[in-house]
Amino acid sequence: MSESIGLLHADKRSPADAMRLFGGPALRAALAVALLGLPLVVAPSWLFTLGICFANSLGVLSVSMLVRYGGEVSIGHSVFAAAGAYTVAILEVRFGVPLWISLPLAVAVGALLGMAFAWPSRRLSGIYLAVTTMALALALPEIINAADAWTGGYEGLYVAQALLPAAPMGLQRYYVALLLLFAGVYALARLRESRQGMALLLARSHPAAADAFGTRRTWARLSAMAISAGIAGAAGASMAYASATVSPSGFTLWTAIFLLVGSVVSVYGLTLGRALLGGAFLTLVPQMLASSGAWIPIFYGCALLAVILVGHYAPKLRSLVERRGRGRSAP
Amino acid sequence: MTQPSAVAVLLSDLFPLVWSGLITGCLYALGAMGLVMIFKCSKVVNFSHGNVAGLAAFLVYGLSSGVLLQLSWGMAVGVTLVAIVAVAVLTYALIAPLVFASDLTATIATLGIGLIAQGVTLLVFGADIVALDLPVPPFRATVLGLRITGYDLTVLAVALVTIGALFFVIDHTKLGIAFRAMSDNPFAAEVCGLSLKAVHIFAWTVAAVLGVVGALLIVPTTFLSVTTVAVFMLQAFAAAVVGGFTSLPGALIGGVLIGVLMNLFTYYVSPEYSSTFLLCIILVALNIFPNGVLAAAGGGSRV
Repeated sequence: MSESIGLLHADKRSPADAMRLFGGPALRAALAVALLGLPLVVAPSWLFTLGICFANSLGVLSVSMLVRYGGEVSIGHSVFAAAGAYTVAILEVRFGVPLWISLPLAVAVGALLGMAFAWPSRRLSGIYLAVTTMALALALPEIINAADAWTGGYEGLYVAQALLPAAPMGLQRYYVALLLLFAGVYALARLRESRQGMALLLARSHPAAADAFGTRRTWARLSAMAISAGIAGAAGASMAYASATVSPSGFTLWTAIFLLVGSVVSVYGLTLGRALLGGAFLTLVPQMLASSGAWIPIFYGCALLAVILVGHYAPKLRSLVERRGRGRSAP
Repeated sequence: MTQPSAVAVLLSDLFPLVWSGLITGCLYALGAMGLVMIFKCSKVVNFSHGNVAGLAAFLVYGLSSGVLLQLSWGMAVGVTLVAIVAVAVLTYALIAPLVFASDLTATIATLGIGLIAQGVTLLVFGADIVALDLPVPPFRATVLGLRITGYDLTVLAVALVTIGALFFVIDHTKLGIAFRAMSDNPFAAEVCGLSLKAVHIFAWTVAAVLGVVGALLIVPTTFLSVTTVAVFMLQAFAAAVVGGFTSLPGALIGGVLIGVLMNLFTYYVSPEYSSTFLLCIILVALNIFPNGVLAAAGGGSRV
């Protein structure tokens, strides 16, 4: 599969293209400042929705990271998010551990789970990872309900501990989700420039060259999955904190598929703007279509297909138009 | 009066369980073979398989029960088959350009198709559970302490005929030879003048028909709801993985294995954790025989 993965359309865009789409550093910084100042102007009920939107954005980011660096698709990232969310919730409810301490643990638990489930398919083509993670996502609600002494079963757990004792809870939920999203975007931006990130990208696009430089393909696949699942764990922690609850119904196969839809809609982008686009898509569409639930999967399916097909045909159309234009201007 | 020994009890349970596992296993195999057909020639994993097959089962229900139309059962199945084959061809037409560019993107696109099929099912038929009966002959016999019903025999007969016909087509017809050539080496096959698209459409059509047959026959063992057939398809995926994802006989063996193992597990351990058990089977299968049971046994396969 490796050579075909190189053809993912997101990668065909030049960096300059991406800059034009979602702004350079200045525009990105402006977006970040605007988000930080948003609680001053919007109603508290919207703050809650926005917090969940940021958490979803981080989840979308984790799926996009796996596509970009691992060249693989996961239909089970809800599992790693659930691992993070339940780590935070169980530590708080059972042991009174605050988010400061449980958050790094959530990331670690997510990363370890990711490694564990990438291990069986480490030498096989990417579809096996997709199928394994799909089975994982389907099995997850059963496992959560089975461990109801810890997880609270169907009803789930409440996450209500304040990080700062004095500040209003609504604002804390908002800012925790937002800062976690910033941290995720920043970490991925650093990863792109790091030695490790280069090695991963090389192993993905030129396995033979990576071999020659001493990067083993197995290692590259496992570590891409570990990083992605770790981010998903952080996203889960963020979802738990921003929505104040965790329950099995929040982490079904559909959650995982929707995260992938969000990632596709954001064209596997790793920037703040793209991640927000995917997260907003996941959060706002169900709200708008709340009265007619059956339209949600239809809408998501159509959006997924539309983005993929546009991504496929747009470069061809553009080159066609350019050729036409050149043909006409030439005498 | 002597108590039957524990072993005798175990065996008297075991035999019927294996038998009924074999029956459902044949249906998982039908689902798995559809996935394998598509994967073998186009390297795309069709994640819409389960949802489209589920839509088909609902269509038969809707057409024969008066929700949509009041047709005879045979007519309803015929209309549904035509509709689902049309959906398969349409799906392929939509993603065909992607298949040749990136199989991963095409695989993601099938998820989109699956979402749409799921949404349409919900929209037209709602989220309720419905009962769909098949006109199977009311037959009942006891052989060696084993109760055999008309349903069992129908499933076996349909599965044998379908799979036999498929293997015949793949082994002996030009289309089948083209399919095998393409699975072995698409580039060489194209150089030899075979049309990749024609063979792909053949595979998608056959897969759709296999999915409809499997979905229809599985319904009497449970009930019909939006999720039933999707769960059935997870079992088909597991069967395909056990069989190695590129081998049709492997998918058949994988299906029967999954059917029997699932039956034993739900009876002796717990019916609640069936998805977890399937996950374990997939993980174990990937670790022990990553290329499928047949490759592990050392047997090469043609189809």
